[in-house]
Amino acid sequence: MPAFLFGCLAAGVPIVLHLFRRERFQRVRFSDVRFLLGAQAQQMRHLRLYELLLLALRVGAVLLLAFAFAHPFFDPDDQLDGPATVVLVDTSFSVSGPGQQDEVQALARAAVNAAPDGHLVGVVAFDDEARVVAGLTGSRSSALAAVDSLSARPRATRYSEGLTAASDLIGDRSGRLILVSDLQAAGWATGGGSVPPRVELELRPVRPPASNLAVVGLDIDSNSARVVLLQVGSVGPDTTVSLALDGAVVDTRSVTPVTGRSTVTFPVKFPASGVVMASVVDPSGYSVDDRRYRLLDQSQQATLLIVVGDVESSEAFYLQRALAPGSYTDPFAVSVVSASALGTDLDILEEVGAVVLLGTFGLNRRGQGLLASFVQNGGGLFVAAGPAFDGDLVQGFLSRGTELGFGMSQVHVNPVTLVVSESRHPIIRRLGGLTSKLSEARFTRTLTTDPGVGIVIARFSDQAPALVEYEVGEGRILFFASDLETKWNDWPRQRSFVPFLHEVLSYLSDHRVIQQEFVANNAPAGLPDAPGVFALVDGPGRVVVNVDSGESDPTPLSQDQFIASVGRLAQVGENEVEITAVEQEGQQQVWRYLLLLVAVFLTAEGWLGRLVA
Amino acid sequence: MVGSDLSGLAPSVLVRLGSLELVARTIVEGFLGGLHRSPFKGFSVEFSEYRRYLPGDDPARIDWKLAARSGRYYVKEFEEETNLECNLLLDISGSMGYGSQPVTKLQYGGFLAAALACLMHRQRDGVGLMLFDDRVIESVPVGSRSGHLQTLLSVLSKARIGGKSDVAKPLDEIATQLRRRGLVVLISDLLDDPGAVIRGLKHLRFRGSEVIVFHVLDPAELTFPFERAAQFEDMETGSQVIAVPSRVRQHYLKNSEEQQERYRRELRLANIDYHLVNTAQPFDDALMSYLSTRGRRA
Repeated sequence: MPAFLFGCLAAGVPIVLHLFRRERFQRVRFSDVRFLLGAQAQQMRHLRLYELLLLALRVGAVLLLAFAFAHPFFDPDDQLDGPATVVLVDTSFSVSGPGQQDEVQALARAAVNAAPDGHLVGVVAFDDEARVVAGLTGSRSSALAAVDSLSARPRATRYSEGLTAASDLIGDRSGRLILVSDLQAAGWATGGGSVPPRVELELRPVRPPASNLAVVGLDIDSNSARVVLLQVGSVGPDTTVSLALDGAVVDTRSVTPVTGRSTVTFPVKFPASGVVMASVVDPSGYSVDDRRYRLLDQSQQATLLIVVGDVESSEAFYLQRALAPGSYTDPFAVSVVSASALGTDLDILEEVGAVVLLGTFGLNRRGQGLLASFVQNGGGLFVAAGPAFDGDLVQGFLSRGTELGFGMSQVHVNPVTLVVSESRHPIIRRLGGLTSKLSEARFTRTLTTDPGVGIVIARFSDQAPALVEYEVGEGRILFFASDLETKWNDWPRQRSFVPFLHEVLSYLSDHRVIQQEFVANNAPAGLPDAPGVFALVDGPGRVVVNVDSGESDPTPLSQDQFIASVGRLAQVGENEVEITAVEQEGQQQVWRYLLLLVAVFLTAEGWLGRLVA
Repeated sequence: MVGSDLSGLAPSVLVRLGSLELVARTIVEGFLGGLHRSPFKGFSVEFSEYRRYLPGDDPARIDWKLAARSGRYYVKEFEEETNLECNLLLDISGSMGYGSQPVTKLQYGGFLAAALACLMHRQRDGVGLMLFDDRVIESVPVGSRSGHLQTLLSVLSKARIGGKSDVAKPLDEIATQLRRRGLVVLISDLLDDPGAVIRGLKHLRFRGSEVIVFHVLDPAELTFPFERAAQFEDMETGSQVIAVPSRVRQHYLKNSEEQQERYRRELRLANIDYHLVNTAQPFDDALMSYLSTRGRRA
């Protein structure tokens, strides 16, 4: 409860004065009061009514004033007061092993039943998204019913989602947050979570399966198929790996599992279309990760075009290495063209998913027009500053309808680093734990940028914008305010460079490539929540859905490690709450209306007071 | 100073003069000076003075002996001489102490009584005075000798606010005491039972006396101009009433006007002169009403 609400106690002052200070009428000696007596009864009724109205106006004005000050600190969803116990239940597939669901249910039910008297109880389920399945209520039975309705889904664990939803539900209350989960380490991959300062976090660990064998990869080329297996925990007996095309088994191998990753290669030649499924027999682990699908219908490689000032130079050296096959995820199909040659082939951008503009030397009007049209029609353009970058030129042909503010380059005697400023942006979310590695790079030269209407995804440590996203027509431009070589920074030598570029270019390419393979949490709406092959009526025909392979590793954190991870983020959570309160009031501006009401009340009080006082 | 200017002096100015005698003479002289022609000269039998005959004078009034001696025509002026007895009844009850102006009702009534006494004395009428609240507090018998006026003014100047009002009682007393028919002047705010007051006045009239009633009220009693809610305390009884003026004003004025109208109507039927006097107004109207009645009586 906001402390400003204690101001409501001041409403007692007019009440006390009303009750105990009645002798406030001026005494007037008059010759004869007989003529007043007849009207006294009627006017006394009016007088009492006036006094009550005055009292109501005064009390109302004080209360409104208190609420006006307290309102920014109200959580609009915070309808109930008092401490609360929120049970946060993991429903990812890492708790779908033999016996785990029963344990989850039992622990969650026990947590609900153990909630102290006077606590409100709520239940939040989470995997890669969070759902409030029972809002805060005094009824234990409804919370228990919500727990009974939960079951594991083929989704990955994301603690940040669950902790955020649970914290929002608790609001400013004190209380307990009880996490029922296997404490899988992989759940922190996309970032941390926080709990409110006055909330005690308690863990109810679910035992992981003794072992799990999963298919975590399926790579197919012209002559073979490679099935990547992951064995976690105790190694079981020999098992069977099968490869099937459109449901018909093509080959089967007996393998002896080994701890960690191993690859089983099938020398096989598949046709141009079809669905390949690799599966493994694993009775002791999770069942949903025992198979993996691959669609042969169409190549999913995104085509990238790198535009440089001079193809003979080393402008794109590190970029090309970063995008080479085997560097991070599935490789892009990369081609390089000089800026001067861009305008000679009008169809050069026809099949391109995204363009990386590193140099502008020789970029003629036709080439400029091609790039501008490409972006306007939904293409993704990644522009990086550097010695060969002419900001004025780029600003000239890309700025139609959108302000792109490129300024002068700035030398930093003390190198600056990268800091994420928009943690919810898809690129940053996909980077996950690698986000913290961004700060390892040192930048000695940057380009000053006025982001205008653009979204600043990352900044340099001197607060200057580093990575800005602009929406132009149907496409997007991502501008990075330093180079992708080693002339202005040492970033290409750092660990975060390759993943960052892959995520940026994947993000830009998504707008051009028709996706047909999905991880469960990103599958189109309307598909069953399960891995498999599905037909899309209004889409590219059939699509395949696989589970997140990271979830197949149930290796847990210790309770201390887990608590420490949350504890480090608690302060960040406080700051976020403060900013949210200020932003909330900034948007609502309710205090203006409340103070206006106070003024109306006081005016009415003054008018009425003149009659009565 | 021109006499007519004095007659218009407001009571709030007169009250600063201090001496009641001075106030009374100022009022009377100012009032008489303002009259263009005194209707009261020439009716008496006591010689006053000669003056030149002027066209329009009655030739019968020419003193022919003097004309024979002096060869000029003079007419005789006579002063009125009468044996009219006049009793001034001044209410000094608690309610007469009220005044929203610099002059209270009692002060105003005292000035009026003094002025009337002064005027009567000039007319050689006998004047008596009675101060009362619910009983007769002070009484000066009727007299017309020189020095009597000073006695009367002295009593008036020492008049202090009394207690509860009962107008009917002194009226009955004086009705029984009157030996001959005369003039009775009642100066009061009449905040009493109207029926009893009217009965008392009729009693006097029945005994053959001319009666003039000066109903003295303060402007605040006539308009009830208060704005803020207040605790009104009765000056006679001490009873208290909390009232919001805007809510009770209409009721108050209605009752007050009804009472005034009742006095006016019933006293007229009884051939009693009734005059409502506002303490913010000069004394002209009051004195003129007296003289009118006096003229009828003569």
